[in-house]
Amino acid sequence: MENLVTTMAGNFGGITGYIYPNEYELHWQLLIVIYPYLTGLVAGAFILASLERLFRVNELQPVYRLSLLTALSFMIVAPLPLLAHLGHPERSFEMFLTPHVQSAMAMFGFVYGWYLMVVLLLEIWLDYRRDIVLFGREKKGISKYFYKFLSLGFSDISDKSLLFDDKLGRFITIIGIPSAFLLHGYVGFIFGSVKANPWWGSVLMPIVFLFSAIVSGIALMILVYMVSSLFRWKQMKMACLNKLAEFLIYAMIVDFSLELLDFIHRLYQSEESISILSDMISSRLFVSLIVTQILLGTILPLVSLISARFGKFPDELKRMLYFIAAILVQVGIFSTRWNVVIGGQLFSKSLRGLTFYKIELFGLEGLLITIALLILPLVILYVLVKVLPPWSDVVADQTQSQTQPN
Amino acid sequence: MNKLGIPGQIVPLAIIGVVVIAAFIAARMLFVPDTFGEYGHYRASAVEEIASQEIVYAGHEACNDCHDDIFETKQESKHRDVSCEACHGPAADHIEAPDEFTPTAPRGRGYCPLCHGYNPSRPSGFPQILPKTHNPGKACMTCHDPHSPVLPHAPEDCSACHRDIANVKQVSHHATLSCRTCHDVPDEHLIQPKFVRAEKPANRERCGQCHDRDSDSPREIPRINIETHGERNLCWECHYPHYPEVGK
Repeated sequence: MENLVTTMAGNFGGITGYIYPNEYELHWQLLIVIYPYLTGLVAGAFILASLERLFRVNELQPVYRLSLLTALSFMIVAPLPLLAHLGHPERSFEMFLTPHVQSAMAMFGFVYGWYLMVVLLLEIWLDYRRDIVLFGREKKGISKYFYKFLSLGFSDISDKSLLFDDKLGRFITIIGIPSAFLLHGYVGFIFGSVKANPWWGSVLMPIVFLFSAIVSGIALMILVYMVSSLFRWKQMKMACLNKLAEFLIYAMIVDFSLELLDFIHRLYQSEESISILSDMISSRLFVSLIVTQILLGTILPLVSLISARFGKFPDELKRMLYFIAAILVQVGIFSTRWNVVIGGQLFSKSLRGLTFYKIELFGLEGLLITIALLILPLVILYVLVKVLPPWSDVVADQTQSQTQPN
Repeated sequence: MNKLGIPGQIVPLAIIGVVVIAAFIAARMLFVPDTFGEYGHYRASAVEEIASQEIVYAGHEACNDCHDDIFETKQESKHRDVSCEACHGPAADHIEAPDEFTPTAPRGRGYCPLCHGYNPSRPSGFPQILPKTHNPGKACMTCHDPHSPVLPHAPEDCSACHRDIANVKQVSHHATLSCRTCHDVPDEHLIQPKFVRAEKPANRERCGQCHDRDSDSPREIPRINIETHGERNLCWECHYPHYPEVGK
């Protein structure tokens, strides 16, 4: 009995003020936090790749293919938290068969399908087609047939054919950028259109989501590029890292400004919800918003990035600062997702009380599943990199072997 | 370029596109029910299926026809808005053949806490208990009449000073007992409690009035042989009478 009373007293102690009965337990938990986080990384990584492709930012060439593969790895995992959260993943296909055009949530499958099938896969296939054909010729055994299958039976890699690949790829990139905007803007749209929730319901939400996605994607690519170079014992290209850091700085400044604008706008409007939201920020979200998101996740990495990029430091120190900043940015963006998803459910719709949220360790919405879902894209990326090497030196080797007479 | 002037890579991509679209159309034809979308974004035949289900509930007006006395009692109680079948289960068969089908009556402790078990989301003021500590092992109906669920008023004659004991006792099996059932309390104790003490039972027969196997007390009260149980100890040396244990 003592245990029961202690547990209950401990739990209810987290509730302050008045809350409605259905607000005691949070319905969207950790899995829904990582869903926008993962889609953000997808959109960010793809937009970074598009910069190189469309605007010919040559410094970013070493991370172009890596970004595409990273986007694909995270894209494959992006719907899993949703399916796990729903509890009946086998029913999800019904959403595709009977689309409800008036439900933003029900359109997820189509937004996702379009982006995965028409943009990402197609762009990667066109970009890798030459390599795939070459691998199909060089490899032996099952690998040979695997690459032949990947080539879809088309093995023409003449200059004319490759030129068409490039043109089509460029066209898809042009479609891809608004699609990436659509994908992550869509996630923000879902939250932003909940007009009954003052923490979510804002027209700025899709735009803020989008820019935070770009920030997280670029930071992820800094990490992936640095770690993969370390494991490959290859020299990192400082020009590429500097350019990535530059873009990250610009994106972070825009993102932070937009969030600040949203914050100031809310303060200026001072709607009836402002009081409970202030309470929430100063109590429940103090650590995750003020400390983790703003101080550790935005200001500190921004200062570190600016000083490393524009200061006169040795390259080793620059790399270290970039690396630390990129990790901090990831922590910050994860906190952003946490603050949006969890924060939006911590205050009562009566605007008179706050509830609490405690992460479970086990269970379908628990910490272990979340960690597994965050590691899974990296495993997929590892496999993808093995199948489709994004490194320019590997491609160069192939070209060399191709030109040599058999 | 092939003979039609279409770039070669377009052909496999177009085939995949056509396959995906064909699979989508085939899946729709196979899996989407025929009546889907007839009225709205749902399967229209579901409405007919639900309408064709057998009616198992009779409605509380039907109960009133025969059980008007209980119905009237309930109408004046806190349970007036609770339908008879909410506790007694579906009773359409009972209306058709009263002698053949008898509705169930939940007599255990599992049912009432569905509404009255403590839950923070319930409105404040709504009667709630912690089933584990509230009179454990005792059927709710022993103290509460579900047709007129007035809260039983446990004797509180000594609670002004002994509130902590009264609080424990009122959720125990001894809730309905007055303190004086077991304690000899001189009137002077109420005036000079420190000088004139209330007595604890000094013999085993006091408990034996209800718990001896030969006593006339109600059947559900646990029985022992007062001659042999516990040998020479007094009952309260092993049992705590203000919150007696159950099932041990």
